[in-house]
Formats: sequence, structure tokens, C-alpha cells
Amino acid sequence: MFSTAGFCLISGEQASRRMNSLPTPSRPPLRSVLLRSRKRTILGLDPQKLIKYFFGSNASVAIIVLVLIMVFLLREGIDFLPTYQRELQTYRRAGLEFCDIIDKPLQRNQALSSSLRQAVGASLETLSKQARDRRDAAFLLKRQVEDKSARPRESLRQALEKTPPAPDQIEVLRAELAVASTAAAKALKYPAFFSAAEVEQMQREFSALTPEVTDLPPLLLILVEEFTVKDREARTQFAELVTAQEEFEEAAEPLQEVLDELKAKALETKEKAVEFEVLEINRQRLLEAAATETDPKEKASLTKEAEESVSEAVNLEESIKEITGRTAELREQVEKYAVVIEKAAAVLPKDAGTGAARKMVNEVREKIPEHAREMRAASATLEDWRWDKPVSIFRVIGAFFFGTQWITNSSWQDFYGFVPLLTGSLVIAAIAILIATPVSVVAAIYTNQFASEREKELIKPVIEFIQAIPSVVLGFIGISLVGDLIKDFSEWSWLQWVPGFPIQERLNMFNAGCLLAFMAVPTMFSLSEDALNNVPRAYIDASDALGATKLQTVFRVIVPAGISGILSAILLGLGRVVGETMVVLLVAGNRIAIPDFSAGPGVIFQPAHTLTGIIAQELGEVSRGSSHWQALFMVGIVLFAISLLVNWCARAVARRFEPHKA
Amino acid sequence: MSADPTAQSTPPPVVQVRDMDFCYGASQALFDISLKVKYHRVTALIGPSGCGKSTLLRCINRMNDRVPSARVTKGEVLVKGKNIHDADVDLTQLRKQVGMVFQKSNPFPKSIYENVAYGLRIHGEKNKSVLDEAVERSLTHAALWEELKDRLHANALALSGGQQQRLCIARAIATVPDVLLMDEPCSALDPISTLKIEELMHQLAHEFTVVIVTHNMQQAVRVSDYTAFLHLGKLIEFAPTEELFTNPREKLTEAYLRGTFS
Ligand SMILES: Nc1ncnc2c1ncn2[C@@H]1O[C@H](COP(=O)(O)OP(=O)(O)O)[C@@H](O)[C@H]1O
Ligand SMILES: [Mg+2]
Repeated sequence: MFSTAGFCLISGEQASRRMNSLPTPSRPPLRSVLLRSRKRTILGLDPQKLIKYFFGSNASVAIIVLVLIMVFLLREGIDFLPTYQRELQTYRRAGLEFCDIIDKPLQRNQALSSSLRQAVGASLETLSKQARDRRDAAFLLKRQVEDKSARPRESLRQALEKTPPAPDQIEVLRAELAVASTAAAKALKYPAFFSAAEVEQMQREFSALTPEVTDLPPLLLILVEEFTVKDREARTQFAELVTAQEEFEEAAEPLQEVLDELKAKALETKEKAVEFEVLEINRQRLLEAAATETDPKEKASLTKEAEESVSEAVNLEESIKEITGRTAELREQVEKYAVVIEKAAAVLPKDAGTGAARKMVNEVREKIPEHAREMRAASATLEDWRWDKPVSIFRVIGAFFFGTQWITNSSWQDFYGFVPLLTGSLVIAAIAILIATPVSVVAAIYTNQFASEREKELIKPVIEFIQAIPSVVLGFIGISLVGDLIKDFSEWSWLQWVPGFPIQERLNMFNAGCLLAFMAVPTMFSLSEDALNNVPRAYIDASDALGATKLQTVFRVIVPAGISGILSAILLGLGRVVGETMVVLLVAGNRIAIPDFSAGPGVIFQPAHTLTGIIAQELGEVSRGSSHWQALFMVGIVLFAISLLVNWCARAVARRFEPHKA
Repeated sequence: MSADPTAQSTPPPVVQVRDMDFCYGASQALFDISLKVKYHRVTALIGPSGCGKSTLLRCINRMNDRVPSARVTKGEVLVKGKNIHDADVDLTQLRKQVGMVFQKSNPFPKSIYENVAYGLRIHGEKNKSVLDEAVERSLTHAALWEELKDRLHANALALSGGQQQRLCIARAIATVPDVLLMDEPCSALDPISTLKIEELMHQLAHEFTVVIVTHNMQQAVRVSDYTAFLHLGKLIEFAPTEELFTNPREKLTEAYLRGTFS
């Protein structure tokens, strides 16, 4: 379209030139003279053509704008790769990468120890749970009595603090407090695990609570002691488990110490290197300016400034030697660590504790050798690591498209890995499409084939109205209503068979998927309905005349004939879902991590972040032109490409099988 | 006013229309029609456009039921002696008995095989060999088998116009109906395709009772044994084709045949 308009303008010019050069000595044939003289022209163009150009140019505006958007996105985003390459280069040269080789796998230690800690807790529970419950309940009851008699207590306290003291008043207040406390203690509900005697004692002791006495009432002391004893007992019974857990947790400490020293050194180097780089860039700019400057005086001053700003380059090689020099020591620590944890795994009791605890312990026992292997493997790669190996551009592209971490504003190192965002977007889109497709297609079939005219008049506008709801309002609903609903449902005992229930987070991918499905329904419904509507009447005639029932006609003829339209409706719905921002930003939970697919289908109840959400959230806060800014533009480019692809597929599907237009 | 040329025939009429009035809402489209369609003969309905030929044809398989407010207000239609408006008549069975071919060919956007098998499938036939056999028989009847037997699974919409219409005929006869209704089946076809279908019509008459609507009088002469002439919703004359064309009894028929009214 764009090029057509351009072509037309040129040919228009040629036409006008031809007209201006009309009165030539050689007489043109009579007929053409007559024809031309009758034509009215504006700027040498006849109105027909002008109208054509007008419409043509309007249509081209859309295309020009689209091209401009692409150019703009590319211009901002394309620099990302070299920038990120430079950053990763620094990451390597300053030795951060070296530290991460060990640090990354070492983080597994924390996950494993927390599992163990939970297992220990669960095991101890089996013995000490009742004692702890009794203790906690008693404390809670005491608090309740104190809360209920708070006012007289406060008055008494103030009276006691007053100088000089007023004994009469104190007595009155004391009596008041006693009455209030007694009433409160009587009114309490005592759990069944307290015996009648204990309840009586508690009531007595709670009634006697006064502000001066800070010691615990005797029964509470007894209960505390009871728990301590039980706990100690439990700890001795599960001593193996407890010590194994402690050993495992402590095993990482010496290694972590060495690593932390190296990390501090690396960070220091990196900061210096970055500073130097900034100065160097500045100096280059000055030199460039000087080179193009014509005024000799200005030129001289610029050159001088540049020369003055020569800073001392960081000697990366020297710094890195300090780090790599300790490779042997680090490897030794890794080896020690591996040995210790393997030993801990070996002594982990086989069938420790009960139920959940046993399962956790068994899992950890299996994972520890794997972790040890991983650590040793990492330690071996330290030897091959070279600080001055250049980072190839393919590595950078890989680090973006296949990177599993999106970490920004980090004091250690920023990573722009695209995978967590992409998976978030895809999972949410899949949920939305899985929900919206049946709903909208069934609704379209019903409306188109079975509904009465009055029903049609109701259903169509209502569904189309959904489109008018601002997405931020839907986000509201997601936060305040859908999240709570899902959470409540997930806690119902007879729904516990659903994977992922009970859910941890109210804001999660499923919640966002539901709302996006709601948003996609109007598009998918209307387009599917159109597709069914476009199925030629003649097919229905033929099917009816063969004696088909309504249902047979619908499902054997109409739906198959409209299937390409329905598929393209689904794809366009997908396009809408992938591009939607506000709802996912508000409702998806915004946790930047690859969802844990080992949770099975329950993964949909985890929070995630999305391609659109990350742009909306971060673009306003980053400084223009920084690597983070450029990374966000790269995300934008990919998003744009996905949308184009989805739309193209929708068109291809719609065109692929258009029988009734053949 | 109408003659009854089938009175002396031995087999009972397959379709019998008795004193039928038909209305689209308030406007009456057919007036007091009586007609007997003879067994294994081709009966043509002719008449000027809008006279009610299609309406009459659609009365026979109750296709008019789909038009809300359209109904038979007087008289009855019998197919093989059974009043098709009786409460115990199953519409799907009626339409299995009375097949129909439309003016514009309308094969489904499915394979040739699936088009022909469709009628049997919706009536519950699942046996592959029965379907195969029916497809072959119907396509043979429709003079398509030789042309298409190697590409039964090609899309029906890839066929030429004439082939498509013959496929529609094959589809309609696959369920072995007693009556085959055809509403101007050649009006959208080129002369050669038309000729093929006309030839087919003679063949079909051996197996089926055919009722055909045509606006082309020559066609009626070529294909039909009996002809009914309708005018403004009334059956003016019904006679053996030769008789009606050579020696029309009614003035109106004569005028129409001579083309002296429009
Ligand atoms: N679905 C319909 N609703 C209302 N009137 C109709 C409908 N179909 C046909 N008619 C009317 O019935 C009359 C007969 O139509 P039709 O049977 O189609 O004529 P023909 O096939 O002979 O040209 C015409 O006046 C037409 O306007
Ligand atoms: Mg007609």
C-alpha cells in the first residue's frame, strides 16, 4: 500500500509535467485535445486521482506508523546485545563468574537444610505437640484476660506510679481490677486438654493478675517446664536427625567463608572496572569531539581535558590472580564440604520421625549425594575457567533467550534471562485459552444455532459489553474477589484432590488466567459466531433434506464448516491474551522465577511474571539507555514478534480452508 | 379443473396431494392442489416464476416446516399412502424416504466419500462395508463412479459444477429414498452438464419416483412422463407430458406454452 501510494505520487508528477508541456508545435490529434480540454484539474491532477491519492495516503499512514514502531523498537533494543556482552565480559573478567561457579550450586544447601529443618520440626511435634499447645493456649488465655481488663489495669498502674501515692484510690482500683479479671477469667472458653483442676487454678490465678507482679502465674510456669521437658525428650529421641540437620547446616560455613572473601574481592574489582569504563567512554567522547572541532582553541582545550581525564586502568589481571590464586584452597573446601554432607546423609536415620517428616528426610537423603556430585563437578570446572576468554555474541544471545534468571538492580550482577517471563506469559495464556475456548465456542454455537431471537438480543450485547470493562477494573476484581474465592475453595476439605490445593498465594497464574479468559471471551465469541454465521445456508438445507436432526446438522456440518473461522478466533483471542498487560501485572503475583513444574498441574497456582507485566512495571523506573532499559526493549521486540506471529497464524488458518468461498 | 391421468394405473401413487391449500403466514401460496405422482415415473412441475412450484415440491418432504408461520391450511399430502402431517410421522424418516436435490449444487466441504455416506451415517449406519457399498452404488447411479473412484477422499468442492450436482444426486439417493425431489437441478449448469443430468434422469426413473421442477419447457418434454402446470398457486393442468404439450386442454396452458404471457 505504502509503495503504491509513493508510486502514484510520482506518476502524478509526471502527468502534470506532461500537461504543462502540452502546447508543443507538433499538433496533437484532435480527439485527445478535446478530451483534455474538458478535464478540470487541480494542481495538474484531476479530481478522480486526487481522491485516490487521498485514500491511498491515509491507508499508508497505518503502515508507515507500523514500520516506525518496528524501527523504533529495534533501534532501542538492538544495542542491548553489545551492551549485555560488555557486561558479561566484565562479569567474567572481574571474577564474579568464577565465584558463581561454586556459589550457584551451593544455594541448594539452603533448600535442603530448610527441608531438614522442617522434618526435624515435624518429628519433634509428634512428641511435644500437646505440651506446646497447652503452653501456648495458656498464654493466649492469659492475654485475653489481660485484654479484657485492660482499662482498670491501666488505671491502677497509673495510680501506682503516681507520687505521692493515694492508697485509698489504689484500693478502689485494685478491687475494680479484681472484679474485671475474675469476670473475664470466668467468661473464657478453656480448651478440652485442660483438666477441671487446671481450669480452676487458671481462673484463680488469672483473677489475681495485677500490674505489679511480672512473674508468670505458677501454672504457666509448670506448663512451660512441661514443654521444655517434652522438647528435650523429643530431641534425645530424634537425636540422630537433629544432629544430622545441624551438621548439614554447618557444613557449608567454612566454604561459604572462603567464597565470601573471593566474592568481596571480585565485587570490588568489578566496581573499579565499571568506573574506569565510564571514564574511558567519556574520554573517548571528548577525543571525538576534539577531532571534529574546527576552532583550534576549542580543539586544544578538549584534547587537554581528555588527556587530563586519563584514569588509571584497573589491572584486572592482578586482581584476578588474587582470586584464581586461591582455586586450590576453594576446591579443597568444596571437597571437604562434599565429604561432610555425604557423611551427614549416611547417618540420616532411615525411617526417622513420622509421615511427612519421613518423606522429607528420605527425599533429602536422595538429593544430598546428587548435590555433592554437583559441587564436585562445579569445582572441577574451576580449573578450566579463564578470566580473559572473550564472551561471544552467541553466548549473549543464548544468555538472553535461554537465560533462566531475570535479576535487576542486583548488588552482585544483573542477568537478563528471558525464560521466566516467557514461561509465565505462556502458562497464563494457555490457562486463559483453555478456559475461554470452550466457553466462547459453546456460547457461539448456542447463540447462533439454538437461541431464540430474544435470547440472541440478550446474549450478544452482554458478551460484547465485557470488552468495555477497563482491564484495571478486572485487575481489581482479581485481587479482591477471585483471589479470595480461589483461596477459600482451595481450603475446602473435599477439594483437596485438586493438585496444588491448598494454595499459597492468592495472586497466581490461575487467577490471572481466569480473568484473561474473561477478557478473551468477547473476541472469541464474536468471531466464532461470525464464522458459524458464514456457513452457507445451502449446507444446512442439504443436511435437513437428508433427515438430519438439528444437533447432527450443527455438529456434523455447521461446526466443521466453520472450524477454520473458529480456530482463527481462538488464535486472535490468544493474541489478545498474550498482549494484555494490566490484569497480569496486578493479578499474576509478579514473582520473577520459572514456575516449579515439578508440582505437576498444581503449577498453575504459583505466581509468575510476564513479558508485558515486566515492561509495564520496570520501564518507568530504569534510566534511559541503560542495559536494563535496552533489555526491556528486547522483551518488547519479542512480544511484538509473538503478536505478529499469532496474527499471521490466525490469518493463515482462516485462509487455509475457506470452502464456501472457493 | 385438473385432469387425472393416473386413474387407471395399477401401482398406487407414491405421492398424493389432496385439495391442499398452503400459506406463508397470511399470504396463500397454493390453492386447492390435487396431484398424484406415479410410481417410477418422472413428473415435471412447470409454470412461471413465483407460481409456487418450489413450494409444492417442498410440501412433499416438509421442508417448508423450517419457515416459521408456513403451513398447510387445508387438505393433505400422502407419501405411500401415509399422511405426512400425522402426529406419528418421524420427520427424519420422511426425509429419508423423500430425497431432495437443490437448484444450486451444495456438497458439504468434506470428501466425496463423506458426502455420499452422510445420509447413511446420520441414520446410524456405522458398518464400513455397508457404507463402502452404498457409496459405490450411489456414485455409479449418478454416473460418477468411473470418474471419481480413484479420488473418493478428495474434497468435494474441488469438483466441477456438473460433477458437484451429480454428487448431490448421489448423496440424495444413497439412503434409497422412494421419491427424489429436484428443484431446477440444471438451472445453474452449462449445457453439457445439463445434458448429462437429463440422461441420468431417465436412468433414475428405473429405480426412483422423480419429481422435478423446471423453468425450461424443453427440459420437461425431454425428461418427464407427466407434467403439471401451475399458475399463481393453482394447478391448471396435469397430464402426460406429450399430451400436455401437444394438446393442452386449458387456454392458460396453451398461452404459457406459446409464450404469449409473461
Ligand atoms: N419463505 C417464504 N416466505 C414467504 N413467502 C414465500 C416464501 N417462499 C416463497 N414464497 C412465496 O410463495 C410464492 C411461491 O414461491 P415459489 O414456490 O418459490 O415459486 P417458484 O418456485 O414457482 O418460482 C411466491 O409468491 C413467493 O413470494
Ligand atoms: Mg423455485
